[in-house]
Amino acid sequence: MFKPFEKISKQNFLIMVGLQVFFILLVWQLSPIGLIPQPTHVLSALGQLLGTRLLIDNLLVSLLLTLQAMLYSILITLVFSYLSVIPFFHSVAQFIVKCRYLTLTGLIFIFTLLTKDGSQLKLSLLIFGIVPFFTTSFLAVILRIPAQEYELCQTLGYSRWESLYEVIVIGKADQVFEMVRQNFAIAWMMITMVEGLNMSEGGIGALLIKYNKYNDLPHVIALQAIIFGIGLFFDYLLGLLRHWLFPYTMAHKK
Amino acid sequence: MTPYTKTEVLLQAKDLQLSYGNKCILHDINFSIRDIIRPGLQQGQVVSLVGRSGMGKTQLFRILSGLQKPTSGSIIIRERKPAEVSPGSIAVFQERAVRPGDMGVIFQNYYQFGWRTVRQSLLLAARRNKLLEGKEEDTMLQYAEQFDVIDILHRYPSQLSGGQQQRVSIIQQLLKGANFLLLDEPFSGLDVCVLDKVVELLQQVSLSDELKTLIIVSHDIATAVAISDTVFILGRTKGVEGSTLVRSIDLIERGLAWQKDVRREREFEETLEEIKACL
Repeated sequence: MFKPFEKISKQNFLIMVGLQVFFILLVWQLSPIGLIPQPTHVLSALGQLLGTRLLIDNLLVSLLLTLQAMLYSILITLVFSYLSVIPFFHSVAQFIVKCRYLTLTGLIFIFTLLTKDGSQLKLSLLIFGIVPFFTTSFLAVILRIPAQEYELCQTLGYSRWESLYEVIVIGKADQVFEMVRQNFAIAWMMITMVEGLNMSEGGIGALLIKYNKYNDLPHVIALQAIIFGIGLFFDYLLGLLRHWLFPYTMAHKK
Repeated sequence: MTPYTKTEVLLQAKDLQLSYGNKCILHDINFSIRDIIRPGLQQGQVVSLVGRSGMGKTQLFRILSGLQKPTSGSIIIRERKPAEVSPGSIAVFQERAVRPGDMGVIFQNYYQFGWRTVRQSLLLAARRNKLLEGKEEDTMLQYAEQFDVIDILHRYPSQLSGGQQQRVSIIQQLLKGANFLLLDEPFSGLDVCVLDKVVELLQQVSLSDELKTLIIVSHDIATAVAISDTVFILGRTKGVEGSTLVRSIDLIERGLAWQKDVRREREFEETLEEIKACL
């Protein structure tokens, strides 16, 4: 367990992780640091949150907004990524990638002018925030495609458009799930930020800001734990969906 | 000697030259492959291109396949005019420069689409072949049976052994309907038993159609020579940068072609020594 490159079974790995989590919680419980609440307080806040409709309602608002933003972002990303192999659109795709360096806060006013209501504002800000990260990931996938994949298409007499369809659209479809999985965290992180801009519709971000405002740290940490848990759940779900929809990602030599 | 005649030129390399900047890789490559006719047999052509590592074999392979353009010169192939192809019609031929897709190409690592099962990959190739219209599935199954891959049709490339991948690659390119089959180092990394099977398989392919032409690029001289009718040797001439064809050997004239136990012949050994001396 302490040797480099040592392989351990899945069961042993889970036991090890369980013990590590238990140890950290124990240390946290036994050595209180200033205002940071102890795990028991967080657990009690979590129980309180789970017992009300407040959490479910806000969570649903956030999830719906995230999924909507993710869906639009995937579509935009795929269109520009697929087109990026055409020189005319390559520069557009590259520009989208560079948009990662723009801050959302600086664009709120422009987006407010461009959108009709708070809901649209949040959605468009989220899409604008997510698309550059998705595009960066997917362009990296396209760049990593070995020349042999295109050459095999050529030897089979495919036209360039057919090669694009076979190698990038069909061949990298599983990578779309991987891209979403890797970048879901970014979307999930941004949701708490954009929900702070328009709190009237609620959402987990609005809830977090409210508890932060009143220094209700047990509830803040409890909410963080929920956000963390949902993130892990989606990570697992997307991985599972990828293997189910694209069995070759699980295919190994027999 | 087995009676045979060499008729029309099927492929001709004319004054091929390849340079990267000022560096000359290949120069003055000229050769042709003629249709061999043996009475009572559908005898295809098997040509080997041998040479030491770093002699530009892979570059020549890519030029022949149409995947890479030479700096100058051309590869001309003779093909049936598509419009004339129908059962019972007299084949009319035309000559033209090679294009990507004209040749069946089997890469050294037998690359296949990782997201397609063997069945899907083979059907994709069969659907490119207009002559197979309406009977793609049946022809694919025939080949799968013939090349012993029928049990692995549902598998993905990552689930295949090296030998299985090679067979799938060959069937795929055969289904595509190309008369020319280019093989890059087909004997590389194979154990003795598998090597014999591959040799047998290539001989089987060469006997499947009179116009079928196998071009094998290899540094395994003994195996390549054992199954070929012609050997082209890629090497260097003194004082000249880049490689060229330094020698060609007609193995039919020497009585070394189409023989199962050719390796036991003294002349085979002598030919190998002769080739080695040219490298």
